[in-house]
Amino acid sequence: MSKHHPDEVTLLDYSAGTLAMPQSLAVAMHLFLCDSCRAQVKKLNSLGGALLEQSEPRQVKVRDFDQFMAGIDKDGPGESASAIEVPQASALRNPLHGFLPKRLEDIQWRQQTREIAEYDLTERLGVSGFRIGLQKISAGARVPEHTHKGRELTVVLSGGFSDELGVYHEGDFVSRDGSHQHSPTALQNEDCICLTVLDAPLRFLGLYRLLNPFMHWS
Amino acid sequence: MAPPKAVTSKVRSMSTDSGDKSQSDAQYWAELLHLVARDRDREAFRKIYDYFAPRIKAYAMNQGISQQADELVQEVMTSVWRSADKYVDSLASASTWIFTITRNQRIDLLRKMGRMKAEINVETEDLWQIPTEDSTVRSIQALSAEKHLRQSIGELPEEQMIAVRKVYYEGKTHQEVAEELNVPLGTLKGRLRLSMQKLRLMLETKEL
Repeated sequence: MSKHHPDEVTLLDYSAGTLAMPQSLAVAMHLFLCDSCRAQVKKLNSLGGALLEQSEPRQVKVRDFDQFMAGIDKDGPGESASAIEVPQASALRNPLHGFLPKRLEDIQWRQQTREIAEYDLTERLGVSGFRIGLQKISAGARVPEHTHKGRELTVVLSGGFSDELGVYHEGDFVSRDGSHQHSPTALQNEDCICLTVLDAPLRFLGLYRLLNPFMHWS
Repeated sequence: MAPPKAVTSKVRSMSTDSGDKSQSDAQYWAELLHLVARDRDREAFRKIYDYFAPRIKAYAMNQGISQQADELVQEVMTSVWRSADKYVDSLASASTWIFTITRNQRIDLLRKMGRMKAEINVETEDLWQIPTEDSTVRSIQALSAEKHLRQSIGELPEEQMIAVRKVYYEGKTHQEVAEELNVPLGTLKGRLRLSMQKLRLMLETKEL
């Protein structure tokens, strides 16, 4: 059971559908792993339902119902333009199911240092202006101290890590920005795998600042 | 294809139930959706259409996509007609189900237009999953929580309610809402946070 969650306003924006896509992915991944936030989003969705139902539109003209049905009849029961098939209520899916191998062990990692590996999803997800990927930190290893220009969202997928502000385990959702400076360290007993969504480059501090020019992307 | 008389009269009588209004509304819409699913009942669907289509259009216009408002109505109502059998009343109220379809199709429209910041290839339905079977969230609880939520919304202070409505129903960024209300961004975020905490608190006390 995760202990660190997106704040209420982030969940509100997610449920309203106004949160940017990459950040919504991080929230969706957390929801996949967190029962209590899933329950909270259900409530927020009903808030949306209530607001829609209770709204009182004035002077809004829509197509007449009979015209609408005539269109439906013409299209037949099969395909029409682009109306989406609403999926059957089903088991929860990992939002990245189409982009990751079935087992995390089968990921083709790209080793960055001896102890840190990355699986960059940015290109496969077709994202611009953000960087999305999985990070694997070997058990007990430490990521050099860094801060962020923008916001970094992290969801722990397996194992755990600690930093100056806390200890995080599977399912936890961690948000860091320029006001935080941290050096995450994987917990001792197992490798830590995280999903990370960044909306601006990391800035490494100290000796590792030499890494900075390599951490930019277009 | 005219609906059987008995069904139509049943539809009509449902709305006259007295007592808890939000509860009876929820039952009313759920029953209509079931009639659509089971009997392809056009009169039942007409009631849903006449009520929700203008609201979906107003939602789109509020969201700043007036040009696509009719398209959104068309797609959402087509989905509701075709997929009424996918609605599970123990998972969400009908209006919540319609809201989630509307929200997702609005997102799809924005994606098609390339207006959603930082496009991402994951399906919208995977990022915003429509109410799923969820053994961990007891469904009876979900519906009674919905009922309480509707009551709780009315108890929010007006300025918090306005902030929530603008973010939710008008799809505005916090910056835009703050400018519109002429308050600093921090104040707006504070109001949103307070309202969420208040709703959470009200729901917790009532769920006991």
